[in-house]
Amino acid sequence: MKKTWLSVAMAAAVMAAMPFAAMAEEGEATAVTTVGPEDGTHFEMWSFVDAHNEFYGKMVELWNEQNPDKQLNVTFSTYPYSDMHNKLMMSLQAGSGAPDMCDVEIGQFPNYTGDDTPLYALNDALAPYEADCVTSRLDVYSKADGTRIGVPTHVGASVMYWNAELLESYGLDYKSVKTWDDYTALGEQLKEASNGEVFLTSVDTGGVDWMWIAMAEYGDDWTGGPDGEPNVELDSVKKMMTMQKQWLDDGIAMISTDGHIDLEAGFKNVSEGKVASFPKAMWYMSRFTNYMPEMEGKYDITTIPVFEEGQKYSVGIGGTGTVVTEQSADPALAAEFLAWAKLSKEGESYIWSVLGFDVCNSALWFDDEFAFDESNQYNTFFRCKPYEVLQQIANDDAIGTIYSTKVSPTLNDYMCTTTLNEVFEDGMDIDEALAECQEYLEMELM
Amino acid sequence: MQKFKKLFYSQKVAPFVFVLPFVLSLLIFWAYPLISGIVMSFQDISFGNRTFVGTSHYVKLANDKFFRTAVLNSVEYMALTLLLMIPIPLVLAVMMESRLTKAKGVWKVIMYIPALTSVVISGMLFRMMFSESDGSQMNQLMIALGHTPIAWLKTKWTAWIALLLLCMWRWTGVNMLYFVSGLKAIDNSIYESADIDGANARQKFWYLTLPLIKPTTIYVITISVYAGLSMFLESFMLWNGNSSPKNIGLTIVGYLYKRGIEKNDLGYACAVGMVLMVIALAINVVQLIATGTFKREES
Amino acid sequence: MAVNKSNQKTMEANHRGLSFLVTLLFAVLCFFIAFPLLAGLLASFRPGRELVQNGLAINWDFKTMTLDNYLYLFGLAGGNSKIDSAKYFMWYKNSLILTILTVVLTLLVCYFVAYGLTMYKFRLQGFLFFMVIATMCVPFEILMLPLYQEVTSLHIINTRAGVILPGLCAASTIFFFRQYMQGLPLELLDAARIDGCTEYGISVRIMMPITKPAFASMAILCAMGSWNNMLWPMLVFRDTNKFTLQIGLNTLLTPYGNNYDLLIAGSMFGIIPILVIYLIFQKYLIDGMTAGAVKG
Repeated sequence: MKKTWLSVAMAAAVMAAMPFAAMAEEGEATAVTTVGPEDGTHFEMWSFVDAHNEFYGKMVELWNEQNPDKQLNVTFSTYPYSDMHNKLMMSLQAGSGAPDMCDVEIGQFPNYTGDDTPLYALNDALAPYEADCVTSRLDVYSKADGTRIGVPTHVGASVMYWNAELLESYGLDYKSVKTWDDYTALGEQLKEASNGEVFLTSVDTGGVDWMWIAMAEYGDDWTGGPDGEPNVELDSVKKMMTMQKQWLDDGIAMISTDGHIDLEAGFKNVSEGKVASFPKAMWYMSRFTNYMPEMEGKYDITTIPVFEEGQKYSVGIGGTGTVVTEQSADPALAAEFLAWAKLSKEGESYIWSVLGFDVCNSALWFDDEFAFDESNQYNTFFRCKPYEVLQQIANDDAIGTIYSTKVSPTLNDYMCTTTLNEVFEDGMDIDEALAECQEYLEMELM
Repeated sequence: MQKFKKLFYSQKVAPFVFVLPFVLSLLIFWAYPLISGIVMSFQDISFGNRTFVGTSHYVKLANDKFFRTAVLNSVEYMALTLLLMIPIPLVLAVMMESRLTKAKGVWKVIMYIPALTSVVISGMLFRMMFSESDGSQMNQLMIALGHTPIAWLKTKWTAWIALLLLCMWRWTGVNMLYFVSGLKAIDNSIYESADIDGANARQKFWYLTLPLIKPTTIYVITISVYAGLSMFLESFMLWNGNSSPKNIGLTIVGYLYKRGIEKNDLGYACAVGMVLMVIALAINVVQLIATGTFKREES
Repeated sequence: MAVNKSNQKTMEANHRGLSFLVTLLFAVLCFFIAFPLLAGLLASFRPGRELVQNGLAINWDFKTMTLDNYLYLFGLAGGNSKIDSAKYFMWYKNSLILTILTVVLTLLVCYFVAYGLTMYKFRLQGFLFFMVIATMCVPFEILMLPLYQEVTSLHIINTRAGVILPGLCAASTIFFFRQYMQGLPLELLDAARIDGCTEYGISVRIMMPITKPAFASMAILCAMGSWNNMLWPMLVFRDTNKFTLQIGLNTLLTPYGNNYDLLIAGSMFGIIPILVIYLIFQKYLIDGMTAGAVKG
């Protein structure tokens, strides 16, 4: 009895001693990434995507080559997504401990657009690039008074993805689809040709992309913009919902498994050919290369149909704005670096070729060497080159703007948890469901 | 010096020496932040600026229908987990400790592993099992039983089956462990004399095991009350985030996150937290008084 | 006599039948519990996207299984593998150190606090016990911001002390020890006092051995809690090289796509240390300690 007790004590002592032994050798840890010479201006930078930090690291190296007089020394940390935003908020609220630069997801931005924002104004730093950039993307990371507080990473232009091989196997022509009426007609044909096995698309109950598209087409914005009042009872939204409900009733479309198509079950539906097309932002391309590599050569990308000819047909969805905090020792330098890293040709080349995004600097969309580089996997994966679609969007000036405002988190949340489910799953009347949502938003804003 | 030493070793002072770390930690890491939290619940908090808004957060809470849903869900979840997660692990622990069970080690390890698995992975695995697609395990089962596939996570009662199964999957082994160690504290000779008196298994369970394991049971109840009321993770795992269709999985802590973190309304979030604290404390104090836990039992 | 014997025989047979049934029950239960885990384990031997595409399935086809994910995890697969592997094991080591420190310190502190709360009669006793319960009922989220500010001003932000200290007096652990000691006879203390043991000597030499099963189960649970804890360490640590495994693994999930390959293999491999701790300590969940101590 005594012996076993002794051995427990021994084991505990050894275990207690172990960490101290381990701590002694801790100096060797190498995986922390700091880039640049030690005597350079030191910055700390956070992101929730490791690949973003790698990108910024490369850009710091390049910056230091080009700016011998403004050397940077940046330490990068990658945190889990929601926790990073939580931590950023804590450190800004507490008034200490915030990084100099930080990636902030677009949905989180409304938290920082108030009058007492702890973020540094980027207008001066962005000025050299403004003319070349997709303005709506700069606007979404701005305060109501026009103060820019975030540097965009990508446009996230919404486009239509088509399973061309599948549609062609039924002898269907998707390329001539211009309006939603054409699209619906194609759905009818597909239903007939495939005996209802293949759905034209899937309708989201857990995402608002479709509604955004509808609003962009009619030039609406349910948030009311930076100064306005929210209003979800819009004709554009009602039109989209009515059309989608009809698709469901007619068996042309299915409800997105688990809510939307950017989830495990969604990838499955896409790769198994259960749905033949869907609108999604450009960044969905990486889902193909990551999770559905066998779809190579099968998918095509076009612009999204419109309700009426001449409407806009794309909207920037999702995204990350990089911010500079007021806690930074040299915010002007940080801002200058960020704007250069994310909007110059050097930076955008990396963003397109490695991260695979549609870049914000739209002047580059028409730079063939930049846009149509054969070594870029996205240029060979799909049946078209993605920037061909972007060029068309740019030529038609077809990108609408939906703002992220104080009301956006509540609005999106109510839509995704309640309204869309009520309409598509429970068959509730659309006007009634939207009125209910509006009522909630108004109560919430009081 | 001698006097001090004597005092230090005296039976009167010793208990205070023992509880000193707790008192210190209580004051520094609990009382201070809690008081700040209480103050914050009466404030609007923005970066660097704090303005007192009186009880307006609480007034708003009283009329907040999402909050009401969250409280109802949490209380319901707590009640259901108490019903499931006390008796079942207790009976399993008694069976596990009886001579009847073979290969105990294997079963114990397997039942314990779910609590160790990363939340991200086990959440993904459960989402796939309960996916509304025809191929998911649960829908395969439904089809085999001649039922049509079910959108498990979209209606309340089916989603709650998933939620409770996830809870049981993750925590049965842990609760069992509490009871097992409680059973270890029981003097075996009591059972031996009961055997001599001819008591059968059921009598021994009702009249010996249950009363003797009461302290452990009270412990498990107390932590389960708070764990149930503050559930967030399981819901987050199942719906891959803090949003569920028609808020069937919204809990108090989930709502606190929505307000405090996602919408940067810390004052309101603190008010939500206060309500949670009051409910949990009220239930537990009543429960502990009723079971006589505040008094030291004299045996 | 003869009757008695046959009685014994039927009892024996009953016993065997019952034993079979009970064991079968656990086997069935464990099959269901193990199912998702097994699927996860098998998935860790396949490319991550297969799980994403094909969903959960028990697929024993060894031909389609590869060690790629694990080779990558151990830095043997080329490419980024070496860097990612170095990171993974750095997180791993950090978690291990943090967990062991937390368990050892928490158990010691909580044991003595519980001892003081349970084994004596003194003023404030009831109040302090109420405070133990009260601390268990406060959501951490409302303490988060003030605590963050406090830890910053105490200059223990970004240190292990900053992670461990606020949780050192874990109310649930104190409460568990208290409940455990409630069942123990106070006479033991008086006997020891007569033998000339000091109050502190009694708590270490007499009571600690008796509470071994409680120590064992709390060690197991405390280790689990610390290993899985993410929210607070995440707020305290600023350097990537201090991150724990849970923080690190979660960085593999991003809105722009998840690194399932590393995530699944890494999570599966991450279970091992806590399982080892479990196996070490569950040996000390031994029967009849009280009886032995009282008799001895």
